Amino acid sequence: MGLRIRDVAHSFGDRLALDGVRFDVAPGVITGLLGPNGAGKTTLLRIMLGVLSPDRGEVQYDGRPVGEQDRRTWGYMPQERGLYPGMPAGDQVAHFGRLHGLSRRDAVSRAHALLTELGLGDRWSQRTDKLSGGMQQRLQLATSLVHDPSVIVLDEPFAGLDPVAVASLSETLRQRAGTGCTVLFSSHQLDLVQDLCEDIVMVDRGRTVLLGSVATLRASSGRRQLRVHVEAPNHDWLLAFPQVTVVSEEADDLRLAVPPGIEPLELLDAARAAGRVVDFGLDLPTLSQLFLAAADRTLDPAGVR
Amino acid sequence: MGTWWRGTALVAERGLVENVRSRSFKVLTGLLLLLSIAAVTVPQLISGDKTTYTLATTGKAPVGIVAALDAAGKSADFTVRYISRADGNAVRLAVRDGDATSGLAAGTLYTKARETGTFPVLVAQAVVALETSRQLSEAGLSPAQVTELQSIQPPRQVSVGQVDDEGRAGAGFAVGIVLYLALTFAGSAIATTVATEKSTRISEVLLAVLRPSQMIVGTVLAFGTITLIQLLVLATPLTVAVRVTDKIGLPAVAAGDIGLAVAWFVLGFALYAFLFAAAAALVDKITEVSSAILPVTMILVVGYMLAVTIVMSDPSGGWSVAASIFPLTAPMAMPIRWASGQVPVWQLILAMTLTAATAMLLVAVASSIYRRALVITGHRVRLREVMRDRTAS
Repeated sequence: MGLRIRDVAHSFGDRLALDGVRFDVAPGVITGLLGPNGAGKTTLLRIMLGVLSPDRGEVQYDGRPVGEQDRRTWGYMPQERGLYPGMPAGDQVAHFGRLHGLSRRDAVSRAHALLTELGLGDRWSQRTDKLSGGMQQRLQLATSLVHDPSVIVLDEPFAGLDPVAVASLSETLRQRAGTGCTVLFSSHQLDLVQDLCEDIVMVDRGRTVLLGSVATLRASSGRRQLRVHVEAPNHDWLLAFPQVTVVSEEADDLRLAVPPGIEPLELLDAARAAGRVVDFGLDLPTLSQLFLAAADRTLDPAGVR
Repeated sequence: MGTWWRGTALVAERGLVENVRSRSFKVLTGLLLLLSIAAVTVPQLISGDKTTYTLATTGKAPVGIVAALDAAGKSADFTVRYISRADGNAVRLAVRDGDATSGLAAGTLYTKARETGTFPVLVAQAVVALETSRQLSEAGLSPAQVTELQSIQPPRQVSVGQVDDEGRAGAGFAVGIVLYLALTFAGSAIATTVATEKSTRISEVLLAVLRPSQMIVGTVLAFGTITLIQLLVLATPLTVAVRVTDKIGLPAVAAGDIGLAVAWFVLGFALYAFLFAAAAALVDKITEVSSAILPVTMILVVGYMLAVTIVMSDPSGGWSVAASIFPLTAPMAMPIRWASGQVPVWQLILAMTLTAATAMLLVAVASSIYRRALVITGHRVRLREVMRDRTAS
């Protein structure tokens, strides 16, 4: 099971949007497709969904090239909203259910259940364009989930959402992943989705720059920072660790970059020997920092938020 | 193929339901119904009074004359009133004062000055016929022989023009007019739907489960059905009126001509509907629809004008033949030409095949534009751009 992206490339005229992207998406795990604006995320998702054809490479599902029939069992939520403005909310969800192969009865009953689950139970017969932006967003989610998809693909689902909506969408996605769904979503807001993704694929300028489990990547990045507030007259205790560098120093906060090979606890012991440690903590790098390191970009104005 | 139709039917059903529910559909259809009822009933109300002629005679009108005039009245839809006057002068005065249409006294037929109606002629004919049969009987002919002589008819009169049969020409004309009007309404509705799907990015969700051809054919089917419903609404009062009363004279048209008219309507509708859909797929914002479909509307108008002017003036001229076979003008030109009865069957079949093939080709072109134009946003897509992409990839 699961999705495999194999060496996918696509260009728009002279502009190369994807240049041999390759990664796997495991079922039951929420995977984030991350990268700055213009990295090629949407193009890749459109290729996966068959909206675009790749110039090279292929998308595999269940170990074979993905076909029309497979995609009918998937759910897709595009970046820009795609709903019929004049259609009642419930009919809209049921219609997309039927397009995905449900019978009319199943589509209607599942649409009812889903709208209730998403807090839109009382909006069944309301015209879509009369719903608030947040409600339309949830309705869009409902249209992509109505047929209980085995694969859910969402393009920038968190863009423009308030914190409450972000939390509720995250919860829905966790729930689906918990039942064995393959969940893949894209985002350029790396730190917003840091806690949601279990696996990540980072793309930049059409190439995969980093992939793997978030926990492992962060722990093994070698870009750990020890934050320590120690009541010592100077930093002489650091002299025993020449590889450790000071990242920043403020009134009561010293940030140290801890390269691989140095045990953070030994560093802490040295600090305790020098004076009373008031506060300390080991910070793993954020996804943005990981991205910047992996993409070898430091200060790109179009860069990462 | 089964799944293709299932998806297409779902698209069509959605479009149909949404439109039938919409206020504009209800208003337009209601308006059409009222219009149609009015078209049938108003002329009836206006011409409700039957024409009545009055004949003044000295004494009681002769039985033979009355019988002849009443019989003529029955077939030509008028009634005759008879008034009697004392003498010839009174009869003359009655006609002069307008009390009677004509007057008959002692072998003189009085009519008003400048009277051009048929009634005096009918009266005169009745008098002559009556006198003739009286003289024939006196000459010894049997009543059967007299009747036989009277049943001699003048030769049948046939007007000679470009068109063999007025009724058939009417059917040919009707296809053009109905097609033109139907496409003016449905064409912009189809374009709006396609452009809505594209500008709101519904198309992106749909393309993950449907092929562009399903979306386009489904949308055209939905509006074709709506147009058909509206045409039926328009035709129903007329049909009912024809069935219930026999007062409305519809040209007698052969069932084959009606079948051909319907076939041309369907072909022409499909052809232009796909053209409208293709034009709308180029649109980025919904407000650009009207300018995007302008070229299609222009082609439709020019096609219609060509069909009417060229073909009506000379149905078998070279230009007419060309116009009736060229797919964009054929649905409007060929029915009119066909009605003239001078078209070889192979030309009809060629025109129909070409039109159907062009319609199918347009589905492919519109689908291609739809898919390619989807990924180009932010500006109106130029046709050249879509075609260039096609060759590039």
